[in-house]
Amino acid sequence: MTNSNPFRRGVSLRVREALHGYGFIVVWILGFSLFTFLPLIETFRYSLHQVTVTAEGIDLDFLAWANYTRALFTDPNFVELLIGYLIETLVSVPIVLIFSMIIALFLNLDFKLKGLFRTIFFLPVVITSGPVIKELTAQGATSAPGIANNPVVAEFLLGLPRALRNPVEYLLTSFILILWFSGVQILIYLASLQKVDKSIYEAAAIDGASAWESYWKITLPSLSAATIVNAIYTIITLSHFSENKVIQYIYAQTYNVHGGIGYASAMAFIYFGVMSLLLGIVYLFLTRWAKKESN
Amino acid sequence: MKRNWFRRFTGVRNRGINPQGFHVSQIKFYLLLLPLAVFMLLPVVFIVSSAFKPPDELYAYPPRFFVIHPTFKNFTDLFSKFSNSGVPVSRYLFNSIVITLVAVAASILVSSTAAYALSKKRFRLKQTLFAVNTVALMFVPIAVTIPRFLVIERLNLLDTFWVHILPGLAMPVGLFLLKQFMDSIPNEVIEAAQIDGASDLQIYWRIVLPMIRPAIATIAILTFQAAWNNAETSTLYINAESLKTFAFYLGTLTTGATGANAVAGQGIAAAAALIMFLPNLVVFIFLQSQVMSTMSHSGLK
Repeated sequence: MTNSNPFRRGVSLRVREALHGYGFIVVWILGFSLFTFLPLIETFRYSLHQVTVTAEGIDLDFLAWANYTRALFTDPNFVELLIGYLIETLVSVPIVLIFSMIIALFLNLDFKLKGLFRTIFFLPVVITSGPVIKELTAQGATSAPGIANNPVVAEFLLGLPRALRNPVEYLLTSFILILWFSGVQILIYLASLQKVDKSIYEAAAIDGASAWESYWKITLPSLSAATIVNAIYTIITLSHFSENKVIQYIYAQTYNVHGGIGYASAMAFIYFGVMSLLLGIVYLFLTRWAKKESN
Repeated sequence: MKRNWFRRFTGVRNRGINPQGFHVSQIKFYLLLLPLAVFMLLPVVFIVSSAFKPPDELYAYPPRFFVIHPTFKNFTDLFSKFSNSGVPVSRYLFNSIVITLVAVAASILVSSTAAYALSKKRFRLKQTLFAVNTVALMFVPIAVTIPRFLVIERLNLLDTFWVHILPGLAMPVGLFLLKQFMDSIPNEVIEAAQIDGASDLQIYWRIVLPMIRPAIATIAILTFQAAWNNAETSTLYINAESLKTFAFYLGTLTTGATGANAVAGQGIAAAAALIMFLPNLVVFIFLQSQVMSTMSHSGLK
C-alpha cells in the first residue's frame, strides 16, 4: 500500500514516519524497560539461584533449575493452587464474557434511565481493586459460603462426578465475585456494538432475516474482536487480582525463611508460563471462531 | 410484539420506532436489569454500612448486611489517632493528592502516545513492542519487586517524590486497552487529516484523543485507583515520613491497631476503608459520564 508510488513514498518518507513513531513511543519504552523489563530479566536470573539478602547486598548461589523442580514436584501446595487457579479461570471467563455481552446488548437499547444503568454496571471497576474488595473479603462478603453448606446443594454437589465438583462449587460460591469482574468488559462490548452499521440490519431485514438470524449473523460476528480483547482482559485481571490464592502464596514465600526470593521468582515464572499457555489457548480458540464467523 | 422486542434486544434498531421516554413496553428491561443493578450496588452499600457498625455487629455470624445500630465511634476512634501522629495528617493527604494527579495525567499521556505509535504508525519494532507489552501484562507484579528496588536505588530515586510516579508510568494494561480502542479508528480519518496538512501531533491531539475519550476516561479511573490506593511505594522506597502517602498512613493505623486491640481495629479498618473508597467513587461518578456519553457519538462506524 505504501509503495504504490515509489517516487513520492520513497525511503525517506518511510524513515520519517518510523522516526515519528519512535518519537511518540520513546518515553514509554524508557519507562517500560527501566521499571518493568530490566527487573523482569533480573527476576529470571534470581529464579535460577538461591538468593540470600545480606547486609552488604544480595548473594547469589547458582542452582540451575532446582527452584523450578522444587515448585513443580516437591512443593505440596503450589501445583494444587495452580490447578485451582486454572479451573477457576476457565469457569469464570465464559461467564464474564456471556454476562457482559448480555448486559451490553441490554444497555444498547433505548429505554429511560439507560445512563444510570450503564453507570451502575460500570461500577465494578472501582470495586474489584482497592480497599473495597479487601474489606469485603475480610468480612467474608465475596463468597456465599452458606450455599455450599445448604443440605440440598451439598447433596447435589456430592452427586456430581469428582472432576465437576470443584468448578460447580466455585461457581455457586463465587458467582457474585465473578460478576463484579465485568465492568470494563461491558464497556468494550458496548463500544463495539455502537460501531455496527445500522444499515446492515436494515438490509438483512429487507432480505427477510429474522431478528434471531441477524443476531447470529450480524451482531455476534461483529463482536468477535471485542470478545478476544475481553477474554484477554478478563484472564489478566483475574490472574492479578490481589486476593488470588497463587499470588498470595508467591507473596508469602518471598519473605519466608524456607522459600526466599529465588524460589518465589521461579514460582512467578511458572505461574507466568501457565497464564501464557491459558491465554494462548483461549486466543487461538477465539481467533479460529472469529475467522469462522467472519466467513 | 415478542419478535419486535427480540429484534431490538439483538441490536436490530430502527430509529423512529423506539420510544423517546418511558413506555409500558419497557418494563421488562427494568425487571431484568434492576435486580442485577442492585447486585452491582451491594458492595458500595456494604462498605458504607460496615463503617458505621459497632463491634458486635462487625463480628456477628452470620455477617449481617445492613447496620442496625449505626455509630460514629469507628470514625471518632480513627480521628483520635490522627491527632496523635507526629506528622500532620494534612501532609499525607497533600502528598497523595499531588501524586495521584501527576500520576494520572502523566501515565495517560505516556500510554496514549505510545498507543498512537503502535496503532497508527509504521515502524519495524512495532509488532515486537506490542508483543513484549502483552507478555509484561501477564507477569505477576510482586515478582519484580526486588529487582525493581535495585533499579530505583541505582537511579538514586529512593526517598524522592518521583519514585511515586515514575515506575507506574508505563502501565501495560493502559497501553493494551488504548491501543485496542485506537485500532478501531478508521485509517481513512487519519489519512484525511494528513491530506489536510495536519502534523502527527495535531492528529494525535485533535483527532485520536477526542475519539477515544471513553477509553481515556476508563484508564483515568484505573490509574487513579492504582495511585490513590498505593501504599506499597511508601513502604518500600520511602523512609522520610513527610513523603509518604495517605493510603500508607491509614494502613499503619489499622494494622497497628489490629495488633494491640483487634476488636477496635476492625472498626477503624472499616471506617478507613470507607474514607479511602470515597474519592474513588467520586472520581468514578465524575468520569463515567465521559465514558458513557461520548461513546455514542464518537463518529466511529
